[in-house]
Amino acid sequence: MKITRRQFIGTAAAVTASAGLFSFNMLGKADKAVADTESKVQIFRNVCPRNCYDTCAQISYVEDGVLKKVEGDPKSTYTNGKLFLKGYNYTRRVYSPDRIKYPMKQVPRGSGNWERISWDEAMNTIAEKILELKKRYGSTLPICMNKYSGNFGITHYGIEGTMSSIGYTTRAVGTPCWPAGIDAQTYDFGTIINNDPEDLANSNYIILWGSNCAWTGIHSLPFIMKARERGAKIVAIDPILTSTASKADLYIQIKPSTDGALALGMAKYILDNDLVDWEYATANSIGFEEWVDYVRKNITLDWAAEKTGVPKDVIIQLAREYATTKPAAIWVGYGMQRHTNGGQNVRIIDALGVMTGNVGKSGGGVNYAHLETWGFNYHAMSMPVPEGSVGVPGPNGTYSDRAVNMNNFAAEVQALTDPPVKMLWIAARNPVSQDPDTNDIIKMFNSMELVVTVDSFFNKTVELSDIVLPATTHFEDWDVMASYWHYWVGINQRAIEPMYEAKSDVEIAMALSKAMNALEPGSCTYPTEGDPEEWVAKEFNDGIHSMLGISSYKDLLDGPRKAKISPVAWADGQFRTPSGKIEIRCERAAQNGLPALPVWVEELKTSAQYPIRFMTPHPQHGIHSQFQNLDWMMAANPEPVVEIHPELAAQYGIGEGDMVRIYNELGEVKIKAHLTRTTSPDVIVSYEAWYKDSPFNVNYTVKAIPADMGKLATGMDGIAFHDNFVAIEKA
Amino acid sequence: MSKQLGFLHNSEKCVGCRGCEMACKNEYQSDASVRWRQVYQLREEDFALPTRIFISVGCNHCQNPECLRVCPVGAYSKREDGIVIHNQERCIGCKLCTMACPYNRPQYNTTVKKVEKCNLCYERLDRGEKPACVAACVPEALEVVEINEELDYKTGVLKTLPGMPDPKITNPSIRFIGPKQGVQIRRDV
Repeated sequence: MKITRRQFIGTAAAVTASAGLFSFNMLGKADKAVADTESKVQIFRNVCPRNCYDTCAQISYVEDGVLKKVEGDPKSTYTNGKLFLKGYNYTRRVYSPDRIKYPMKQVPRGSGNWERISWDEAMNTIAEKILELKKRYGSTLPICMNKYSGNFGITHYGIEGTMSSIGYTTRAVGTPCWPAGIDAQTYDFGTIINNDPEDLANSNYIILWGSNCAWTGIHSLPFIMKARERGAKIVAIDPILTSTASKADLYIQIKPSTDGALALGMAKYILDNDLVDWEYATANSIGFEEWVDYVRKNITLDWAAEKTGVPKDVIIQLAREYATTKPAAIWVGYGMQRHTNGGQNVRIIDALGVMTGNVGKSGGGVNYAHLETWGFNYHAMSMPVPEGSVGVPGPNGTYSDRAVNMNNFAAEVQALTDPPVKMLWIAARNPVSQDPDTNDIIKMFNSMELVVTVDSFFNKTVELSDIVLPATTHFEDWDVMASYWHYWVGINQRAIEPMYEAKSDVEIAMALSKAMNALEPGSCTYPTEGDPEEWVAKEFNDGIHSMLGISSYKDLLDGPRKAKISPVAWADGQFRTPSGKIEIRCERAAQNGLPALPVWVEELKTSAQYPIRFMTPHPQHGIHSQFQNLDWMMAANPEPVVEIHPELAAQYGIGEGDMVRIYNELGEVKIKAHLTRTTSPDVIVSYEAWYKDSPFNVNYTVKAIPADMGKLATGMDGIAFHDNFVAIEKA
Repeated sequence: MSKQLGFLHNSEKCVGCRGCEMACKNEYQSDASVRWRQVYQLREEDFALPTRIFISVGCNHCQNPECLRVCPVGAYSKREDGIVIHNQERCIGCKLCTMACPYNRPQYNTTVKKVEKCNLCYERLDRGEKPACVAACVPEALEVVEINEELDYKTGVLKTLPGMPDPKITNPSIRFIGPKQGVQIRRDV
């Protein structure tokens, strides 16, 4: 497909937008008589920048400056010309009447009393506040940034750059998503690398361990199904009988947080029945014999069965099949590591992969994620602090930023006193929806002097902000995107002009720099000028060029490229641990207060007062708080439900469609009941999301309990989102 | 009529992702009030094991379309290839067809106050392309087929699934491959 370079379009979209006349009617099929004369469909390459396994390569169709539809790019063999349901909703996001169109201020905060302001007023108000705080406290540390995965495009690291360019600031550090599993594999292998997901097609046995890829990474399914057509067996291990698990040849409903016990039970059987790949394990790992000794002495199948709720004969069958049907692949989902022993459970599963020789094999692997294709310059991020900046004192007169734990954000921000945090800068993030302990988050927001949020919709975080700045969508911006699962990298072209007065994060940084330097020359180092395409060009380097087999970013305009690296993780046996081997016994883990070996660590248990586990996994119709608010999604899935097993519902007199009050000492949430046997009688399930015009938020009862790992690779431990214990009653 | 085109939906492959439903909306940029294609979850109690089983239904382009029969203004027609077309210019929005169709496929657009429905992407078909829903289906659970005796003789091809209306009413041009259930190790038994 030949790409037509964008022509400058100053007509339809821009004019109607500024006149406020835009409506969805413009998107309908053009009247034939009109269509045949002058309009010409232009085609652009885009990449969905959401926090998602699939990072879909997209083709956008633009007519007279209007985005008419979005399809999958057939040049990616992973996306294969198809999008997931979310990707087909993009015209509704770009042209939603609910979009934030201009900079606005809300007086007072939380009142809903929004007033349009100019970019100049917005930038001046923010710049004055930053400079005033800097003067009052002697540093910019009272300014705190919280940014994460709302847009994973590489230029969006310009948000971090915005902060660096004004001085040393307070930063939310960590990731709520996947850090325990990252650390587990970092301890074991030295970093995270998964086999190319397209390699799943070469497997003869696939365990989907806590992965609901039918909802969260559907483009991997065809490769799994291809393996099945060749005779591979598909096993799903999950506390919830998901859409993915419903397709498995064998579904195992495990007690939540006991995955490591199941893996240890399997390991015991594999040992006792001489199914170990001693040659692989001893040649490639250290501490293996010591762990084997632990398993022999401490683990019984009866214990594993009791612990996991999985009958002994099923553990035996699973162990025998996994150890003898080679190559066997495990996909470790992120859900299973959101526990207080989540990282440890991943380490045990890693050991299972090592003992059966499935690591480093095509069709095998213990597959979690990778960051191999992310070696960009991070130019938009790498800004020097202004001369004379003061921050947290370090050695030799140096200073640094002040880190607060993103995963305990509310409490840690409120605990800071020297200096206190007085201003929040929030971009690509919606903490009021997504963070644990919503009540405490709201309290923290209310203690601020200024809250600035960059977003596209009036979501829960924007509702508690003083100033909101309108963000562009990825169709309005140049960018480059990589995936943490597949091996493709794609360029994102500006397909349409920015809507209304929206700006990208880099453009906002440039505007802020202009305002700050006008008020106090030298107070901000961010460039004040720059072409969006040039900003993207500056993210590329020789390493990326050679990995993708390109000589310039422009080569990506012909289609996304797949990294020229081995599709099999660890095939070369060169592990990135200090020892260069798989560290079954890991000194770094021991130094960080964790077990050195992949041994069992007790799971967190429900209490008499809060006897029900409330799981809040990823939704089908959105990514966290994105997409579900759009009109097509609201029509398809108008309201949230809580999935309750009929036996549990009967105990509380709850019927289908009744409202249920779910509560603990932190807060409560009321959700409509859906009775289903897809969950077990001690687990209720509601999928996190932000619905339009709805107070629904699953995080009111979630405590900021840390997962066991995350610090090593991401700076902070994860969150045990799924160790959320509640009581229920009919509302 | 020389032939009858229709859909073959494979419930064994379908994961209910709604990609088809949204790809249809993306293709036609249809109003939020209408769903030309809709994914339904079947009742879990209708199957041996409680799993998540789905069907995806556009217009069934019935051999005896009730919509066409009841329409007072002749807005419906049936093509040579069996596709049932609704002409919105003739439609007066009386909604008789929405009540007559056992599958609830004619959809009332509350914005334009007229009915509309799936046309099997006949323009795409005429260009040699697959319908938007079929082209978008990641697990390849949906295809366009010719509905004929040969298809119905094939093993595993079903005319209906539990919870669907009696196919005798309109003789719908849709066939199914039924769901296949694996082994479940459950905690509630």
